[in-house]
Amino acid sequence: MEFPISGVTVDPLLLVGIGFVVGVLGGFFGVGGGFLAGPLLFWTGVPINIVVGTDLAHMTGKSIVAAKRHRTLGHVDFRLGFIMVIGTVVGVEIGARLIEYLEVAGNVDRVVGVSYIVILLVISAFTAWESIRALNMIRTESLDVEDVLAFRGITQRMHGIRLPPMISFPQSGIESVSLWVVLGVGLIAGVLAGFLGVGGGFIRMPMLVYLVGMPTHVAVGTDLFEIVISAGFGTLTHALKGNVDILMALVMQTGAAVGAQIGAVSTRYFAGPRIRLAFSVLPLIGAILVIVRLLGLTGGGGIH
Amino acid sequence: MKGNPRSLLRNFILEMILYGVLVVAYFLAVLRFLGEPLMELYESSLPLYAVAALILIVAQGVVLEWVTSFLVNLLGLERLE
Repeated sequence: MEFPISGVTVDPLLLVGIGFVVGVLGGFFGVGGGFLAGPLLFWTGVPINIVVGTDLAHMTGKSIVAAKRHRTLGHVDFRLGFIMVIGTVVGVEIGARLIEYLEVAGNVDRVVGVSYIVILLVISAFTAWESIRALNMIRTESLDVEDVLAFRGITQRMHGIRLPPMISFPQSGIESVSLWVVLGVGLIAGVLAGFLGVGGGFIRMPMLVYLVGMPTHVAVGTDLFEIVISAGFGTLTHALKGNVDILMALVMQTGAAVGAQIGAVSTRYFAGPRIRLAFSVLPLIGAILVIVRLLGLTGGGGIH
Repeated sequence: MKGNPRSLLRNFILEMILYGVLVVAYFLAVLRFLGEPLMELYESSLPLYAVAALILIVAQGVVLEWVTSFLVNLLGLERLE
């Protein structure tokens, strides 16, 4: 099928399939899935500028569907999401400016690529280690809980910061935390997202769990809510530059919308540590894809 | 969890089939009736195209889910909530 806006011919069933896979991952893990959909779209022959914009458009629609489903399950903390998005927006801008600075200095692809790989590997290793410990705790102590953290040191330190104003997030079971901690988490995730050129879901989700102390299920739903806003904004800015093929995004969305609902509902049947353990594989896949691209095995150039 | 898990799962599959049909019908309707106008908009006014693109993708997420919920309630199927 030829998509007249981008002038590209792609099998629509392939797009539906990509959308479905990314949709299931997004609904289950609270990630946008750009790290997977991007390379796959590029591989089908879509130009890179259209890949980025179109991916953001379908991510917006898919995240709306998944976030709505998570909301019905009680997994979205809107209050925290709205506050955090302020930090995220500022962070994305800082990250984008860092990239501009590096572009002037040269070597941007290598610096970003190596940072990306290191960050993804650290997230993957830490999440896998912690979730396995948490699962062992549940087994050995016969805990009858939906979620448990095996590593609460950072969360306790974050909650120990008593810089006013202090706020509570009953939906997440957080009695009191400094507003600046929540803004800071959004800011860090935003800087990394802007710097690495990704949506940031796979950075934000573990940060919400380990730094803010959110239950995993609520972190997944809240992260999706955050992606709706950030990807929606990204869709607008990319569409203004002519980088969005909305017909292609709608085809992807046919698979993604169904996949996202399946992924979101599936979280009901998994305890928090199991979701985190399965999640730990995602950054690993992302790191491998970047290594392949940096080595020039796909001919797709660098990160940006 | 409310209700019988087996019937809830069956209802969810039915809901997804219904939703999938609506999503595909929506895309075909957009392609049939808005394909050319969208192309013209893309070439003549990117700001209007950007707004139209966002509305279309949001509509697919919000309206179709709402229609599906309405139909599911109409059919008397208990939802997985």
